[in-house]
Amino acid sequence: MGIGSTLGEAVGYDYLGGLMFYQLLGLRFTLFHLLLTHISIKGMVFLEVEMKGNVVVPPDQLDPKGLLLRKGIILRLLEDIASRKASKDHGYYIAVTSLNSIAEGQVQELTGNVVFPVSFNCITQKPCKGEIMVGTVDKVLRHGIFLKAGPTENIFLSEKKMEDYKFSMTEEPMFVNDKQQSKMEKGSKVRFRVLGIKWMEWDRGFQMLATLAGDFLGPI
Amino acid sequence: MSTEEDENAAELKIADEFLKAKCLMNCEVALILDRRLEQLQQMSDDSTNQMSQVFEKSHQYVKRFSRYKNQDAVKQVREILSRNQLAEFELCVLGNLGPETVEEAIAMVPSLKTKGRALEDDAIEKMLNDLSLIKKFE
Repeated sequence: MGIGSTLGEAVGYDYLGGLMFYQLLGLRFTLFHLLLTHISIKGMVFLEVEMKGNVVVPPDQLDPKGLLLRKGIILRLLEDIASRKASKDHGYYIAVTSLNSIAEGQVQELTGNVVFPVSFNCITQKPCKGEIMVGTVDKVLRHGIFLKAGPTENIFLSEKKMEDYKFSMTEEPMFVNDKQQSKMEKGSKVRFRVLGIKWMEWDRGFQMLATLAGDFLGPI
Repeated sequence: MSTEEDENAAELKIADEFLKAKCLMNCEVALILDRRLEQLQQMSDDSTNQMSQVFEKSHQYVKRFSRYKNQDAVKQVREILSRNQLAEFELCVLGNLGPETVEEAIAMVPSLKTKGRALEDDAIEKMLNDLSLIKKFE
């Protein structure tokens, strides 16, 4: 399940190979460049996916005191994943759970860069159309509600997609259903269905439309 | 890879790769992220810098929406759900949303009743009862 494995334990022998290679060079790397292989995964539930990537280390970033290689690789990998944030194919990158292997590096002839293929597990989340999920009300506007659910913010639930609910502005703005005596206000938990998804390249994130049309949907 | 239009979670029409991937319930992710946070705090002094926004938001989310908090309960939930030949995706949706009635479960995961393998209502009800017992005694 990944809970038991730690980054440190998981590195193993391949790490030693990489380290020896480094000691041969007498160098240390800092720059970490990751090329993820193409995997297509769908669904808003969280996924643990094994990914492969390449670590590109420029020669001027290498250094004789290279004993903290493993820690360096782990930190760079985490940093890289954090700055990458999300992609259209994988969804959001949430956390690296283990570094499975670092294969032997290869020198690129023209540039002198060293490329290390690595394999690691990463928790990802990608929204999927039609899926039912839960979220928290973030903003209540006259025309609808903005929800957030984990890394996905900007989930819009239009007033038109929750027919039994009427906007009400007493002290706090909220949507009220008189028949069921339920309401949605800032902070409420809502169960909804995903109506549509759009990848926003400029924001490196997804925008979603939600609907309450269906059984057992609404505030919980 | 299938196009966006072809994919629809309600009908379990999703890319093949996804059916094979390891899906995690919110409560499992909460345990993993808790641990991850601990490790990072040990590894570097300024752990706040290492935490991406995506990580933080997800962590808050799974903490808020985890139905089961303790590790043993989480294990049992997965065990109960996996007795019923569910797809990983279906298993996680049920574990996350925690429906209380058979009707609700089918509304949440319509594919329980399609694909020609139609789970018996009794089997679904037993599964839901087992889950609510875990919740009660956690």
